Amino acid sequence: MSLVNYATREITCKIVYYGPGRSGKTTNLHHIHGQVPDDRKGQMVSLATQTDRTLFFDFLPLDLGTISGFTTKFQLYTVPGQVYYQSTRKLVLQGADGVVFVADSQIRQMEENIESFQDLHANLAEQGVDARTIPLVIQYNKQDLPRDLIATTDELSEAINFRGVPDFPADALHGPGVFETLRGVSELVLKRLSSGGTSR
Amino acid sequence: MTTHAVEAWIEAPLARFVEDARVTLALLLLPSGQVLAQHGFTRSLDVASACALAAAIQASGGELGRMLDGRAFTGLHHAGQDRQLFLAEARTRRGTYIFLTVFDQESSLGLVRLYFDEFVANLAAAAPEGDVAVDGVLAEHFERDLNRNLAALFGRA
Repeated sequence: MSLVNYATREITCKIVYYGPGRSGKTTNLHHIHGQVPDDRKGQMVSLATQTDRTLFFDFLPLDLGTISGFTTKFQLYTVPGQVYYQSTRKLVLQGADGVVFVADSQIRQMEENIESFQDLHANLAEQGVDARTIPLVIQYNKQDLPRDLIATTDELSEAINFRGVPDFPADALHGPGVFETLRGVSELVLKRLSSGGTSR
Repeated sequence: MTTHAVEAWIEAPLARFVEDARVTLALLLLPSGQVLAQHGFTRSLDVASACALAAAIQASGGELGRMLDGRAFTGLHHAGQDRQLFLAEARTRRGTYIFLTVFDQESSLGLVRLYFDEFVANLAAAAPEGDVAVDGVLAEHFERDLNRNLAALFGRA
């Protein structure tokens, strides 16, 4: 839930990047970290294994500047995608104000995408969050791979995006789509705040 | 050094704890990793990282406790060479919070524990009930500011 400090006119929102293992969640954060000036970001914290697979989470605090008179800060998290880190995913998802689902566009990863999307819905429900109301966007990552290896955005949308949420093709390794995805989820999260809701 | 709180009711109990227990850093946060009050941190972005890590330690300690002992471990003490860290859960009617504090030779674990119990009692007494309903925090047309700031952030302005 977004934190609003009326005294200092400050808003803090938590955005979680969710998706199957190796879909590119950490790569999204690395790209954002590389693009943003030093004075607008904190240190990127990665709790990873020796082979750089996310063990607990990656974390990147961002200062978005002043929006409607409020200093707006976003805290970006990733979850570990591998199936056996289920309990960790639940912990990181706790209190999320918005979710970016990062799907792997490779045809052979379609089942993993669907399973992970179902896992997201189950974990949100377990925390009493209605998956139909939480700000959610989907990113179809790895669209830079050869065409015969990947599904088109229409095919991916058909398989995953049954709720018709905003979706974005991306190549997180090189950057295209990363900014648009972050803008998409930011808009939804802030729109929810602007239309009123529960906060602390 | 001053104490900053997102919600005013936390400020007095925290300031009193800091003074009584003679700690150098103190953080009160939500289990989701968002800061509610802090003392001693100079950069807000460092506070955010400390909160994310504290929430992670508390959450994994809880899970580990449930797995090994049938119930969550609710606290942790780490004694470093010069500074010590104390992490614990603080329950109020408004919810359960995580409390992290760091202290040096000016204080001791016994002192911190003693005043932590008092802090939790003061916090529980000061806590208002329920969440605050927010009626449209941001102006309706916030998108212009958002797009401008994100573009600047990504060097697209």
